[in-house]
Amino acid sequence: MMRSVYLKTLYDKRWFIFGWTLGLMALTALMVVFFPAMHQDGSLDALVKNMPPAFQGLVGSLADLNSFDTYLASQLFDIRMPLIAGIMAIILALGLSTAEEERGELRTLLSLPLSRVRLLFEKWLALCSIMAISVLGVVAAIYTIGPLIEGGSIELSALLRLVFMTWLIMVVFGTVTLAAGFATGSRAAANTLSILVIIGSFILTTFGQSVDWLRDFEKFSLLHYFPAVDIIKNGIDIVDVVVFCSVIVVSLVAAVVIFRRRDIA
Amino acid sequence: MLFACAETCEVYTNTMSTPKTVIQLKHVTKQWGSLAALNDVSFKVQSGEIVGFVGANGAGKTTTISAILGFIGATVGTVELFGEKVEPQSAHKLHNRIGYAAGDMELPAKLTARQYFSFLLHQSDGDYADQYKELVQRFKPELGKKIGTLSRGNKQKIALIAAFMTDPDVVILDEPTSGLDPVMQEAFLGLVRDLRARGKTIFMSSHYLTEVADVCSRVLLMREGVIIQDVSAQQLLKRSGKQVHIVTGYKAIRPPKGASEVKTTTKGTKTTLSFVYNGPADELQPWIASVKQLLDIEITEYNLEGAFKSLYESEEKSS
Repeated sequence: MMRSVYLKTLYDKRWFIFGWTLGLMALTALMVVFFPAMHQDGSLDALVKNMPPAFQGLVGSLADLNSFDTYLASQLFDIRMPLIAGIMAIILALGLSTAEEERGELRTLLSLPLSRVRLLFEKWLALCSIMAISVLGVVAAIYTIGPLIEGGSIELSALLRLVFMTWLIMVVFGTVTLAAGFATGSRAAANTLSILVIIGSFILTTFGQSVDWLRDFEKFSLLHYFPAVDIIKNGIDIVDVVVFCSVIVVSLVAAVVIFRRRDIA
Repeated sequence: MLFACAETCEVYTNTMSTPKTVIQLKHVTKQWGSLAALNDVSFKVQSGEIVGFVGANGAGKTTTISAILGFIGATVGTVELFGEKVEPQSAHKLHNRIGYAAGDMELPAKLTARQYFSFLLHQSDGDYADQYKELVQRFKPELGKKIGTLSRGNKQKIALIAAFMTDPDVVILDEPTSGLDPVMQEAFLGLVRDLRARGKTIFMSSHYLTEVADVCSRVLLMREGVIIQDVSAQQLLKRSGKQVHIVTGYKAIRPPKGASEVKTTTKGTKTTLSFVYNGPADELQPWIASVKQLLDIEITEYNLEGAFKSLYESEEKSS
C-alpha cells in the first residue's frame, strides 16, 4: 500500500478526495435538476435581457439553455466548475507543497533516499489523479441524475471531451500553485499567485466580453482556452490543449529548477 | 541479536576496520541575509566515532545538521559525506547510507507507525526485517495508532526506530532524546552503545551533557555558529568535580591547591569564595579546617552542565 510518495499522498488525501468529489457531484446534481426550470420558463429570458451587459456575461447565452448538453456546458462547466475546482486545486496543491514544508514533514521525506525531482513529480501525479477522480464523480452524477429528468441526456463523447478539458484546466490551476509552492516554500507567495491566476482569469473572461478596455486582455485568461459550449458543439481545439500543456510544462520545469537547489526550512 | 553484541563486535571493529572520514565540513559558512548562522565551521567525523554536538539554542547545531543532510546548501565552503560533496540537488544519493532523527521531527500524522515503517522500507533496498523487529522490541512503539494521535515521546520512539531500522553507516541525530521518558532514554543510550561497539558512526546534538559524555567519544561545542571546542569526552569529564562556596569573616582567604574557576566577593565583613575542586577529598578536608572565621560552607557536585557553562563563558570572555 505505502510503496511510494504517490500512494502515500493518495492515502493521506482520501478524505479530501471523498469530500470534494461528493461536493462537486452535489453541485452537478443540483445543476442537472434545475435544467427543466431553466429552459421551460421564459421569464428568465426577460430577466437576463434587462440586466446590464456586464452581468449578462455571468449568465452566458440564453440559446444555450435550450438543450441539456449546452446548458451543462454554459451553466456548469463554463465558469462555476473551473472556479470551484480551481479553489479545490489551490487548497490541494498548497497542502501538498507549502503546508508540508511548514509542518516540517518535507524535511522528513527528504532525509530518505528520495530525490527532490521524484518527490515533486509524485506529488504532481497524485494531484492529477485526485483531479481525475473528482471529474469522474461529475460524470457519474450527470449519468445518474440526467436520465431521471426530461431531456436530460448527453452524448458520452461530448461529455468526455468537456470533462477532459475540465480536468486539464484543474490540473493547470493545481500545477501553477504546486510549482509556486515548491519553488518558493512560501504559502503566501503560492496562494497569491494562484488566486491571481484563477480570479484574474474569471474576471477577464466574465467582464472581458462586455467591458471594452478588458477585451484585449481576455486572451490572457486561462478560461479563454476553455470554451465549454464550443467544446460540446465543435470538439476540442488543439490550440487550447497546447496552451494548457505549455503552462503545465513551464510551471513544472521552473519548479524543478528552483526546488532541487533551494534551502528547505 | 543484531544490536546487542557489545563485546564481540568491539573486537571485530577494532581489528578489522581502519577509520575513514565519513563527515567533513571545510570552512562552511551559512548566511541567512545578514546573519551568519554558521561561520567558517570545519570538522571531521571518522568512521566508528560517536560525536556529541553541544551548544545553546540558536548556536547553529540544527543548521549544521541541515547542511550535512543537504536540506540547505553552504554559502561558502563544502560539506562532504563519505568523501562526496553534499549539495541539495544530489544529497539523496547518500541518504541510503544515513539514518536521521530529530527531537522535533514531523512524522506523517495520518499514517499509523506500521504504515510509516512499511513506507520507509519501500524507499530502501535490502531486507531489514530483523533490525525492525529488534528495534520494535527495544522501544515498544504504538504500531497500530495514527502517529498524529501519539504523545511526543511515542512519536520520538518512531523517529528513532526509523533512523536505525535500515542499518545505516552513519546516524545523524538532532536532540534525539527530547520527549523520551528515562526508561526509553536508557533504551536509546543502550542502542547507541551497542552500535558504537559495532563500529557505527553517530553524530548527535544534545542538550543533555550527561548522555553526551556517557556515549560519545568526542564532543564539539558550538556557540554563535562557530565551533569553539573540540574535546574528547574524557577531557570534558575531567572538568567535573566539587563546587565549593565558603563564607568567612576573614578577608585574606586563599583557595586550596587544585582549585579552578575561583571567584571572590566581599560584602561588608563577609567574604565569599567560590571555586571548583578536582583534587582528592582528603586534601580538601584539612584546608576547610584551616579556614579562619568560617561562617557558612556549601559543597555541591560540579556537573557537566557546569563544565559546559564555564567553557561557554570562558570562550565568550576571550572573544
